[in-house]
Amino acid sequence: MRNRWTFFDGFIYAALLILSLTTLYPFIYVIAYSLNDGMDSMRGGIYMWPRKFTLENYITVLQDVKILRAYWITISRTVVGTVLHVFLNALFAYALTKHSVPGRKFFILLIFLPVLFNAGFIPNFILYRELGLINTFWVYIIPSLYSFFHILILRTFFDQLPEGLIESARIDGCNEFGIYFRIILPLSGPVMATISLFVGVGHWNDWFTGTFYVNDENLIPVQTLLQQLLTQSQALAEAASGSNSSASAQFADTLTTTPESLRMSTLVIAVLPIMCVYPFLQRYFVKGAMLGSIKG
Amino acid sequence: MQQQIRPPVQQASGFAPRKGRLWKEIWKHKAFYLFMLPGVVWFIIFAYIPLYGLTLAFKDYRFDLGMFGSPWAGFKYFHEFFVYYQFKEIIRNTIVISVLKLLIGFPAPILLAILLNEVRHALFKRSVQTISYLPHFISWVVVATLMIRIFTPDGGPVNELMASFGMERVFFMGEKAYFYPMIVLSAVWKGIGFGSIIYLAAIAGIDPQLYEAARIDGAGRFRQILHITLPGLKTVAVTLFILDVGGLMYAGFEQLYLLSNPAVASIGTILDTHVIQSGLKQGRFGYATAAGLFQSVIGLILVLIVNRVSKRVNGVSIW
Repeated sequence: MRNRWTFFDGFIYAALLILSLTTLYPFIYVIAYSLNDGMDSMRGGIYMWPRKFTLENYITVLQDVKILRAYWITISRTVVGTVLHVFLNALFAYALTKHSVPGRKFFILLIFLPVLFNAGFIPNFILYRELGLINTFWVYIIPSLYSFFHILILRTFFDQLPEGLIESARIDGCNEFGIYFRIILPLSGPVMATISLFVGVGHWNDWFTGTFYVNDENLIPVQTLLQQLLTQSQALAEAASGSNSSASAQFADTLTTTPESLRMSTLVIAVLPIMCVYPFLQRYFVKGAMLGSIKG
Repeated sequence: MQQQIRPPVQQASGFAPRKGRLWKEIWKHKAFYLFMLPGVVWFIIFAYIPLYGLTLAFKDYRFDLGMFGSPWAGFKYFHEFFVYYQFKEIIRNTIVISVLKLLIGFPAPILLAILLNEVRHALFKRSVQTISYLPHFISWVVVATLMIRIFTPDGGPVNELMASFGMERVFFMGEKAYFYPMIVLSAVWKGIGFGSIIYLAAIAGIDPQLYEAARIDGAGRFRQILHITLPGLKTVAVTLFILDVGGLMYAGFEQLYLLSNPAVASIGTILDTHVIQSGLKQGRFGYATAAGLFQSVIGLILVLIVNRVSKRVNGVSIW
């Protein structure tokens, strides 16, 4: 190994540094914007640091019943959805590790074929409607209960567990369900963490279901709320382009928040939990992503 | 999937018929069937019934008669779709956006993985990785909100910076000339880090002796990348490429839906957005199902073709 610093190294470090900065900068900017007085932000000139520091945007957002309710929906669907998904997919995957089960290949085919060919939006929408799922909390949970890829990752992990462990538990009089709960699940921390992260992030980030399958305001999650704020603002911006300066000047003395500053603090609130969690689960999901894709 | 040969079950009497033996075997594993039961029911309802629901493309959907009872309509909706005045435009947009994303978005994670692999400081490498994964974990709504804020001509930092250099302000999200570059760049921004994981894994699996041998032969680091790292990534890259090509008809619904606006609608409308628009918003279920079915069939055909070609040329296939 040579330790000479070459032009090649300089290029690599510069490129990676630029990539990191372009990834992080939008977040830094939005956080600064959300911590700045809204009317003041409209003058521009905020780059990395709030100029007129205030928590007003966050206070306004966190006092909004609509947002708190949406937050509650997001949290509960994430918890319920993730727990059920992981439990059921692991159960299925564990059964698939038993090579002696007659018809095992049939079951694998049954869950694989839908990956190749899916029916698309409309048949799904009509099915949900005929099942009475539209406009209920369960539309967030049930249609995404199983995933072929997650079953695959879990099965690959279970396959590596020593057979003797399961055998000895069986000899000690443990039934299959007991083995699953007492042996398999406790030994599967890393893979469970990985799948939970993927599923949890999926639930946390899903705006689609809330937008197209739900129109009850009490049931929409944070991301759908943000999507509504986004489309509203675009419509507003188009309608009022050019003529909003006088209107905003009128309110300048009384208001410290603007729709834009509130949107930014809502965005930060929607992102923050994930930003705090994923770096700690990184070593697991790096492994999990490999397992899932290579063996696919 | 492994081929498993089941040892013949020892039968004490030797008279039990085959059928009985199978049932006995099934009964012995009843717990595992129970484990799979909820999943089987779920897959039948949520994966296979919608496939039957595709027949709606040939039906006049009536709410009161439902998915099974609505009257047949023949190829009416396919015809409507093919003669739709924006049909060519939508297909073109879908393919152009997909191809652009594929051309730039597909090699990007490979490049990142190679660069990361050349970094010698573990801490620096790990930091860059952690940061680059971040956009994968945020939603398209958040990305769209970020982008619109960053690039707005109305006080966004990019335009302010340009203005301070005396350049003219640009409405990046609302001008046709910039729309595709913005779509492609944001897709790369969101996907590059997480996409590189699998390539890093593949690089880690390359035999270090190959590099040593190359070094002894006098290969520089660039030549080592060219002749060892890249060939080592081939299998993974081809597999992912096949899957990506299969998705050519899906140009990225969430992204396009959230980032389009009336100013760029003529180049930003893709098949997915058209399906949602005509189906969910206008209630034309039969028509939208027909358009969606067209999309799925072309997608499947593309996977089959690319998979076969790749099997011939590279000896790599996904099944």
